[in-house]
Amino acid sequence: MAKEIIQVKNLKVHYPIRSGFWNRVTDYVRAVDDVSITINEGETYGLIGESGSGKSTTGKAIVGVEPITSGQIIYQGVNITTAKNRRKLNYNKDVQMIFQDSMSSLNPRKRIEDIIAEPIRNFENLTTDQERERVQELLDIVGMPSDSLYKYPHEFSGGQRQRIGVARAVATNPRLIVADEPTSALDLSVQAQVLNFMKHIQQQYDIAYLFISHDLGVVKHMSENLAIMHRGRLVEIGSRDDIYNHPMHIYTKRLLSAIPLVDVEHREENKKHRQEVEQEFQNDQSKWYDDKGRVYPLQQVSGKHWVALPKDELKQEEIKEKGRD
Amino acid sequence: MSEKKENTSAKEAKKKKISSPTSSFKVVVREIVKDKVALTAFIVIVLVLLFTFGGSLFLNAEKVTETNIIDAYYGWGMNGHIFGTDDGGRDILNLLMMGGRNSILIGLGVTAVCEIVGLLVGLVSGYYGGNVDAVIMRIVDFIQVLPAMPIEIVLVSVIPNYNPLSLVGIISLFGWTGTSRYFRAFVLSQRGRDYVLASKTSGSSDFKIMFREVLPNITSMIIIDVVLQIASNIGIETTLSFIGYGLPSTVPSLGTLIGFANDPVNVVSRPWLWLPATVMLLAISLSVNYVGRAFQRAADARQREN
Repeated sequence: MAKEIIQVKNLKVHYPIRSGFWNRVTDYVRAVDDVSITINEGETYGLIGESGSGKSTTGKAIVGVEPITSGQIIYQGVNITTAKNRRKLNYNKDVQMIFQDSMSSLNPRKRIEDIIAEPIRNFENLTTDQERERVQELLDIVGMPSDSLYKYPHEFSGGQRQRIGVARAVATNPRLIVADEPTSALDLSVQAQVLNFMKHIQQQYDIAYLFISHDLGVVKHMSENLAIMHRGRLVEIGSRDDIYNHPMHIYTKRLLSAIPLVDVEHREENKKHRQEVEQEFQNDQSKWYDDKGRVYPLQQVSGKHWVALPKDELKQEEIKEKGRD
Repeated sequence: MSEKKENTSAKEAKKKKISSPTSSFKVVVREIVKDKVALTAFIVIVLVLLFTFGGSLFLNAEKVTETNIIDAYYGWGMNGHIFGTDDGGRDILNLLMMGGRNSILIGLGVTAVCEIVGLLVGLVSGYYGGNVDAVIMRIVDFIQVLPAMPIEIVLVSVIPNYNPLSLVGIISLFGWTGTSRYFRAFVLSQRGRDYVLASKTSGSSDFKIMFREVLPNITSMIIIDVVLQIASNIGIETTLSFIGYGLPSTVPSLGTLIGFANDPVNVVSRPWLWLPATVMLLAISLSVNYVGRAFQRAADARQREN
């Protein structure tokens, strides 16, 4: 069993809704509500959910740029939700982020050299020559020509920019990288390119990824363990096999059935399956969600497989589970 | 060894071939040259600057402001005075050169102080947001509701050792608020961008992010604001001098010259006293505004390009 690198415990990020004459807090947007995940060293942990389900917010909270409402994020035995602890640990040297929009995540007024060197300058004491060498090396790793050093971000294509983002994230040899939909703005061939670079770097430097995505195909390619989020809460967590082959929550099933399949021979069957799932969702929605539209707390089903089941549902599912084995 | 040398020389060669994101200077030049009005305005500004600053080089402030009643009220071109003389026998052309220079310098000084203070306040307020922003903006609100002109007049009359520098200070006291609001808006729109977050995760301090990351991205706004502020600040100085609370009488300025128009007799029968200064003020303000607009267009075009 691999050693865990980071533990997120009961993370909550709530935004107040202010309204009325006195502008009082009348309610909260529960962007992230009671999320607990554990990421092991060197693994890729997938975090999946639809738009607005709070997956990016979770990622930003882990990197430390999003103030959290409550909960703990434990790294090396220290709760890093306070800025003081983060500074003490040099936390961002070890935990970095790859952003979704490569254009806006690179300062348009800075040269590539300065962009990639920024974390190096902040966390490591290198001479100018050493620093340049390191930046060159990083550009080599992500397969960029060395003359990109003195160019500006707008002179590159989307895929190249995203690789620059990857180079910046790995600049300080981090142990965990939060990749916030790193490929969703890229076309398919470039997606594969960037993903392969990320995998390559992972094997070389033993980096753990928190891979945030809404693309189930990409996540299947990348990660061993994954978590499904919906409306700020975890719906189902488990290994790749648990989620893809034995989904239990209605939302996971619905998500999986939405993956387009190029399978002409079984087209009718697939369509029927999709319609069945949709029908089940329409009929049983009230059973899987509480009266506020939120899913129930997670319950353990088997080893690593946890599902947000309604309380009385567990026993039935257990019987089914046994049948499966 | 030699290989290494070659390497470094190659690197240097590459470094020289620096490309910029969009060469803003070229865009501005194109924008000014393309627009006939802006081009004329630009030439007018250059001429006015040459006239006032160049002319003042050959003048002695004491001699220019020396009173000689015998020469009083010469008309256009009389006795070698192209623009005539005023009630103290002072040559209007000389006063115009020195006065124009003083007014422009004060305008520039006030602009410099206002822009620097406004930029700092705007950066801090916009970047931190929240309570810091709320407190700073309420202070700005408070200063903005104060009647600036009467307070400036009172300060001018009570301050000991009154000189052009203190006038710059007094005008700047109220001028920075608008600028800080203006910059705050741009910083607010920048601070949510991903590159600021990326800098945070790269471990840069807030101070560094403000000045090294956000500031370069709002430079075009700064240039525009500086240009437009210069015109309006020259205007404020002239207004104060016109009503007699501007520069001390030993320092000529456009305002004091225009101030001759306070007397109905001067307005009707001695136009040489106030007309040149009025025309010059008009020319400066108009030209600066037209050039400023060309700057604004240049900045807009670049935003569209991105």
